[in-house]
Formats: sequence, structure tokens, C-alpha cells
Amino acid sequence: MTDEPRGRNLDGDAPVAERVVETEEATITEGAELERTIGLSGGLAIGIGTMIGAGIFVFPGLAGGEIGTAAAASFAVGGVIALLVALPTSELATAMPRSGGGYYFVSRGLGTLAGTVIGLSLWLGLVFATAFYLVGLGFYALDALAQIGLTVGAEPGGIVSAIAVLAGVAFTVLNVTGTENAAKLQNGIVALLLSMLVAFLGFGLLEAFGVVAVDTPPGEAADVWEAVPILSVAALVFTSYLGFAQVATVAGEMKDPGRNLPLAMVGSVLIVTVLYVLTIFVATSVFQRNALLAAGETAMVEVGRALLGPAGALVIIAGGLLATMSSANASILSTSRAIYGVSKDALLPRRASRINLRYGTPHVALGMAGGPVIVLAATRQVQLLAEVASFLHLVMYGLMCVALVAIRRDRPEWYDPEFVVPGGPVVPVLGALASFGLIAFMNRLSIAVGTAVIAVTAGWYFYYARDVELKGAL
Amino acid sequence: MTRVLVPVAVLEGESVSPGLMSLLGGVDVTVLGYHVLPEQTPPDQARLQFEERATSALEDLSQEFRAAGGAADHRLVFTHDREQTFDRVADEAEADAFAVPGTTGDVDRVLVSLSGDVDVDSLLSFVEALVGGRDIGVTLFLAGGDAPPTAPSDGAAADAGDGATADAGDDDAARLAAAADRLSEAGIDADTTLATEGSPFDALIDAVPGHDAVVMGERAPSFRSLVFGDESGRIAAASVGPVLVVRDRRDAEKEA
Repeated sequence: MTDEPRGRNLDGDAPVAERVVETEEATITEGAELERTIGLSGGLAIGIGTMIGAGIFVFPGLAGGEIGTAAAASFAVGGVIALLVALPTSELATAMPRSGGGYYFVSRGLGTLAGTVIGLSLWLGLVFATAFYLVGLGFYALDALAQIGLTVGAEPGGIVSAIAVLAGVAFTVLNVTGTENAAKLQNGIVALLLSMLVAFLGFGLLEAFGVVAVDTPPGEAADVWEAVPILSVAALVFTSYLGFAQVATVAGEMKDPGRNLPLAMVGSVLIVTVLYVLTIFVATSVFQRNALLAAGETAMVEVGRALLGPAGALVIIAGGLLATMSSANASILSTSRAIYGVSKDALLPRRASRINLRYGTPHVALGMAGGPVIVLAATRQVQLLAEVASFLHLVMYGLMCVALVAIRRDRPEWYDPEFVVPGGPVVPVLGALASFGLIAFMNRLSIAVGTAVIAVTAGWYFYYARDVELKGAL
Repeated sequence: MTRVLVPVAVLEGESVSPGLMSLLGGVDVTVLGYHVLPEQTPPDQARLQFEERATSALEDLSQEFRAAGGAADHRLVFTHDREQTFDRVADEAEADAFAVPGTTGDVDRVLVSLSGDVDVDSLLSFVEALVGGRDIGVTLFLAGGDAPPTAPSDGAAADAGDGATADAGDDDAARLAAAADRLSEAGIDADTTLATEGSPFDALIDAVPGHDAVVMGERAPSFRSLVFGDESGRIAAASVGPVLVVRDRRDAEKEA
């Protein structure tokens, strides 16, 4: 094993290799320094902001409609799996505090084939996730229109697609032209969302335990407390937890990464898990299954209306719009970073990561994110998009855990993580088993689409980058 | 040796005027080439693409600085946060001052502002090192009414010795005179200007004509600097010429 990547791709490019020194305040390469500018709160905002978005506003109707209050357990299962993956990811990220995230760890731990598959399916997984967020945004926008008295005719689906596509175009353009304060705006939105959710949950919990009484329609449908339905709903809603590993993709920009990376990753998983479980608990105690199912993607609006009247509905609509927007925006951004990671290692043509000097943004990569997002968003397949996104991420999460075990066994000279997962290989092994296991509970169609994506990415490796060697390199 | 940090937005075509270059001929220089990126762009991605171009521009610049007299090196930083980068590199390079590059021809006369709670002692040491034995005149400037309650730690004012009894105006005049004496002893042609009316900022800008560069002390961020932008940046914009900001290291010394 060497500690430098080697080989050439079909275009004759080799992976970029260089000596790098990491300090707490900067990353120093041979001729330049990269400033570390993101603190702990910035890292938490990335993790929470990517996760908190669309999932919790779109899933209560779908998940609660299937199994009722038991859906709270599904979200808890998702949270535990996310935590089992977040711990090994933290160890890897503090050992390699560079931008690149999951792709980087898998390619170094398990080699180029696994790396290519993960790098490319991370890109495509984020594309599916973004499309899912945009469709959710479309449903919420439709509700907002209804709220101000604009009723839509017999074909609301077409409107949802149109809104989703337009929003996809808008976010791509926004990211290409470079908004200087995008991240600050994002942080503001996350803070606003958190405070709205906490206030809403406070009232909802009072109601659920009978302190405050509101009239909710009676229903007969009972909750389904059985393992298989709970796990299959967990597989569906796992999309809500995609995002904690995005913190690792900005590892190279984070101050004091040895401390801030694990705190931001584990912290954001814990915070959103609590919020999700409580939100689902409140939603499913206000409405029975059949009512939630009837309300569909925007069931949360009805929950808000039942608890707090029209004002409650408005708050949820506003929250849903903000959340789906911030998730979509954050994911398009992460996608372009994922493309940069693979292109630097010569697994994609180098021009994919070009930056334009006028705006300073990676326009090619953003286009490679935005284009397919728009096509997928037009399909309006909420469940399929969410599950394929989950599938592709779960494969990456599982392989990251495997990569940790492999790297620990190989012990390359440079491997010196500041954060070490306690309990030996137990946590990463459990994390891998849980990630791969959850996939088994998905829809057949989602598994088929996900598997097809993986097959295509593997095919790309054999065609384009078979000679590139990344295993064990730093 | 006195060291000045010269930040240059290297990929935006920013450069250093010949006047500033020869003014800094007597001191060591670190050229800080920086490029600010929007948040959506990983700094590493920009480095990969632009490092060579930026480095060759920086090598040319530091070559020119060496030709002007002093030692010069250069660093290249890609960042999302300009101020954080300036502060970090200034600390690491142990720079005594940093430059806000402006346009100027030959420097014959420098305006030195002693207004406000600045570290007068290190400001004057810096001016001595900067001017060296050269034929460059200095105008010491102090805006009245802007002085803080007399601080005993204030080197020059303490030298004047009569701060305790004199009223504010006399105190200012004494501070200026003491500073001018110190520079004259070092063989520098020093004038003084005491402004008593108007805001200290406007008075300083009014005093700029006839001078080719401004030297001032770094001040702690105030509410005004948060609203209107950093004071040295505003003065640089209003005076057009280069501004040298001497770093305040009194706190650092106390901590050490």
C-alpha cells in the first residue's frame, strides 16, 4: 500500500496528490492555505439544516397514515441508525479532516470501485433527495395557495410539478450566481424552524396528555405496533436523517475539527431525533390513521389547524415552505461538493469541477445537480424519490462503517483520529448491519431503482477509471 | 525587524502601487495573496484551479518588493472570511502593521493619526522604522475631544508628564508635542496638526491633502465600525491613498 493515489483515467488525468498539513485554524498545502471558517454552531446548522427540512413536514401524513402512533417508533429507529453511523463517521472525519465526506472515507478505506460507486451514487442520491424536497415544496405551495383563496382546478398534480420544477431552476441559478449570504440566511431559517417546532410541540404535548383539550375528529383506526410495519416505515422516513454526514463534507473548512466535527454530527442527530419523535407523537395523537392518510403530504397543516386554528395551519404552511426550500437548497449545494470530490480523484472528467471566476461558483457541478433534479421533480413520486435517496445513502453509510473497520485493521501510518468510537468494532459493525438491514424493508421498486443506479456507477468505474488507485492513500 | 502585511486580492487583479512599494522599502514585507469565495464553493476546489496563476503573480510582487529594498515573502490563502484570514496571518507572520493598498505616486509626506485610544508608543516606533533615514516628512495628527480619559499606560502622554492637571486641550497638545520631539530626535522631519472642531473622522480626511499615505493605529471594533465598516477601510476609501494600520498588541503583551 502506498499513501499516494495513483493511476490514470480514460482522459489521462491522475488523481491530485499533495502533502497537506492540518492545523486547527487552516489547512496548509504546498503553496497555499485554506482558511477554516466554520465553527461548532455553523457545523450544527449544516447538520440540522439539511435534516430538519422536508422530512418532518411531509412524512407525518404518509407514515402516521400507515401505522399511527407507532410511526414515532419508526422515527426513533431511524435516529438510532443515524447515531450508529454518525459515531464512526466522526472518527473517520477527525482522522481525515478534509472536504469530501463519505465518498472520501469509502474510497480510501475500501478502494476505487467502492469509492466510485459511493461517490457517484452520493451525487445521484442527493439528486433524488432534492427532487423529493422540491415535490414536498410543491404540495405545501399548493396548500398556501388554497389558504389565500386560490383554489386549483381538477388537476392539482400538474401545479405541484410546475412549482417543483420552477423552484429547482431557481435554486440552481441562485447557487450559480453566488449569493454571499446564503449560509447566513440558511442559519436564520433553521433557527426560525426550530423555534416554531418547539412552540408547536409544547402545545401539542400539553394537548396529548390532556392538559389542554381541543376537539379532534374521532376515528376508529388503531395504531399498528408490529415490528415489520414499523421497520418498513422507518426505511421510508429515513430520508429525514440524510444530512448529518454532510457535516463531514465541510471538514476541511471547520475550525478545530477534532472537537467540532464529532460534536456537530452527533449533536445534530440527537437534536433532530428528539424533535422528529415528538412531532410524530403529537401528530398521531391529534389524528387517527385514516384522517392522516386522507390529508396526505400536507397532513401537518391539518394537525396545526386542529391544535391552534387557522393560525396554526398558517404557521405550519410557512414552516413547510421554509423547510422544504432550505433542504432543497442545502442538498443542491452538497451535490456540487460531492461531484468535486470524485472529479479531484479523476473518477469524473476534471472539467466537472470547474469554477467560474466571475461568480466564484462551480457552475458545471451545479448544473449536473440541477438538471436531473428538475427531471425527477416533475415525476411527483414522493415515496419513490424518498426511498431511492435513502437507499443510496444507506449503502454509503453501511460502507463507511465497513471502511472504518478496514482502515483500523490496515492502520495506515497517517491514521490518527482525534475522536475514537468507544467499544471497539461493535458500533461500526452494528451501524453497517443496521444500514444494510433497513434497505430490506423498502419497496421492491425503490430497491430496483437504487440497485440499477449502483450498477450504472460500477459500470462507469470499469469504463472510465479502472486504473486509478485510491485505497490507503491520504 | 519591522514587518508589514500587504494583503492583495490577487485573483481580482489588485496590485500594489509603486509609491507604497518604495515607502515599504525600509521594512520587511509579507504579501498576503487572498481570494474570497462564496460559501457554496469549497476553498480547496478554487485552490486546485487557481493556485498556479495566483502564485506566479505573488512571486512577481514579492520580487518587486525585494527590488525596493526590504526582505519580502508571500503567502496564498483561499477563504470565506477575509478578516479572519488577515488576523490569523498577521499573528503568524508577527506583522507589526498591515497595509490597505491604495494608489499613490512617490511618497514625500505621511500623515500619522494619534487620535483615539491607540498604542502611541508602537505607532511611533513603527513610523521610525518605516521612514528610516529617508527624506520623508511626517505630520502628526490628533483630533481633540476624541481622546479617552487619560490613560497612564499611554506612553507618549505619560512622557509629557503634566496630564494630571492640564485640561483636555492642553493635554492633547502636549501629547502631540511629545510625539513630535521623539520623532525629531530620531532625525525625522515632524509637523503637528491639532484638530479641535468637527468629527475626528472628517477632520482626519480634511488633513489628508498634501500627504501621500496615512499611518494609523488599530482600534477595537466599536459600534460605529460595525455599522459603517472598519475605520481604516473607510479612511482608505475616503483618502484614496494607502493606509498603514499599526496593530495594537498591548492586550497580547498583557496576556503573555
